[in-house]
Amino acid sequence: MQGKAEIHEFVRELLTNSGDDQPLTDSDSLLVSGRLQSIDAVEIVVFLEEKFGIDFAQIGFDKEQIDSIDAIYALTQTVSNSN
Amino acid sequence: MDTLTDNAGDAGPNQEAQCANRQAEIEDVLRAHPGVREAAAISDGSGGFIAFVVPDDVYVDDVLGRGAAGSSLVGKWKKIFDLSQLSRDAHSTPVGFNTEGWNSSYTRGMIPADEMREWVENSVSDILRLEPRNVCEIGCGTGMLVMRIAPHCERYLAVDLSSVVLDRLREQLRTVPDVSARVEVMESRADSLDGFDEDSFDTVVLSSVVQFFPNIAYLTKVLAKAVNMVKPGGHVYIGDVRSLPLLQAFASSVELFQAADAMSAGELRERIRRRIEREPELVLSPAYFFSLQREFSKIARVDIRPLRGRSDNEMTRYRYEAILQVGHEGGTSFDAEFQDWAECKWTLDEIRSMLRRHPNERIGIKQIPNARIEKDLAAMAILGGADAAHTAGELRRELEKQVEEGIHPQALFDLETEGLGFAVCLSWAACRADGSYDAFFVPKRLLQGMGLPAIGWPAPDASCFAHLANAPGQGKLRNDLITQLAAHCSRNLGEELEPARIVLVDAIPRTADGAVAGQELLALKLR
Repeated sequence: MQGKAEIHEFVRELLTNSGDDQPLTDSDSLLVSGRLQSIDAVEIVVFLEEKFGIDFAQIGFDKEQIDSIDAIYALTQTVSNSN
Repeated sequence: MDTLTDNAGDAGPNQEAQCANRQAEIEDVLRAHPGVREAAAISDGSGGFIAFVVPDDVYVDDVLGRGAAGSSLVGKWKKIFDLSQLSRDAHSTPVGFNTEGWNSSYTRGMIPADEMREWVENSVSDILRLEPRNVCEIGCGTGMLVMRIAPHCERYLAVDLSSVVLDRLREQLRTVPDVSARVEVMESRADSLDGFDEDSFDTVVLSSVVQFFPNIAYLTKVLAKAVNMVKPGGHVYIGDVRSLPLLQAFASSVELFQAADAMSAGELRERIRRRIEREPELVLSPAYFFSLQREFSKIARVDIRPLRGRSDNEMTRYRYEAILQVGHEGGTSFDAEFQDWAECKWTLDEIRSMLRRHPNERIGIKQIPNARIEKDLAAMAILGGADAAHTAGELRRELEKQVEEGIHPQALFDLETEGLGFAVCLSWAACRADGSYDAFFVPKRLLQGMGLPAIGWPAPDASCFAHLANAPGQGKLRNDLITQLAAHCSRNLGEELEPARIVLVDAIPRTADGAVAGQELLALKLR
């Protein structure tokens, strides 16, 4: 679960930087709900590319893939399983 | 002569001179700071001073933000456009109609296809009225305009910063060989578009793209190149520009739309404030385009128009077109007296019958209330005066009672096709925060194919020039600059000269003879 804690911390910081200090659970919607703007969500994409080696050009991109901490974690798992 | 007045007059000039010396001292100290481009200090009326500072954008971004804010913003937008083309749906869209990424701020869902179609067709018809033959489009995306405008041109240079987006454009071009023969595709950032000769295009198009520029310094750099590339008689068309005078109304309308009935007015106001502060896109005052005219003598005229369109969305309500006419002015110019709408309160029917009665006249009406956003403005007014405990639900109910009297801009545009013989021109040049617009009706035969009639529109007030744009992603940096400047003043000025407040502005408004327009500045402080 090391990875999930790290993702949680990263998302928490993004929210705090954009002035959102509401509680955050792993299943909360981040993008579809509008809590994060797409300009902030890009940080998640870069984080996943750099930290987990995810290549969106290969796997395609839909914002549901990174809409919650659970979804992001699942994405990192599928990629590490297929490697 | 009254001796008392004389005595008072004697003391005045001395005091005034002393005050002017102190202001000059404060301004000198501020100007010595590298983050300051221009400064004006004025008395706050109670013995203290307020300093107005035009920040140096390069300092703010490069020194305070270590270059991160500006370049990272451009980089992030590039990434967003790249990603928008990696979705499953992006591949299955019809040629020239890839609307991935066009989401509504209100619903967060995609803007309906019929509204996008209306938007693109109106943009195309406005650009085609400029009679483009040799076009450079900066920020062409997947080619919604390329596919529709290039068939009318000899040459079309399509530029974008995203290679993923351009791949999609090339794919689409392959399906239409007669169009693709005239189109050249080029990957470049807007601010590094070099190597084109002066006067090498007749039209440069930037449609729905300047909102993704990081600041006005970047935008001015791009427009300087664009104006230089366009030959006299040509145009720079900047479409889908987000309006700064209407930013507050826009943010209020989005937050009210999204608010649950039980949300308090206090919370709602806080959300609106945060939305404006966090706005990641560049939002511009029409005054910015007029300020360019002072900088670049090649710009002969500036036209600012509300968008055409029946659809009710954030583009038609809150965005405009800016058209820069390059070189000489073409055709006749129309000076007109503008009748104030508030005095005549004409309805659409009254305007129509007046045009019928006076088929040979030119008729100007100014400050027509805008039916598109009347409700949003009323909501803002109610919210502004509301008790913090009021709820969003109560605000909505109150709003339903409002009487509307505005005229829909498209209803006026439609008069053009009713066989009245008039061309209809609308303007948002006056930068009013109530979104009201000015209209000019001119017999079509007087235009004689003139692309852009030269009309003496009501112009922006001097105070509009102090706030030309928001500062996306720079909120924190600009606060840091104010802190630095306060420390700098307290080190270099005596306590009695330290400004009570430092206010950042985009320009210092000046009177015709170059003196600081103090009243205009004080009005800004109050805002």
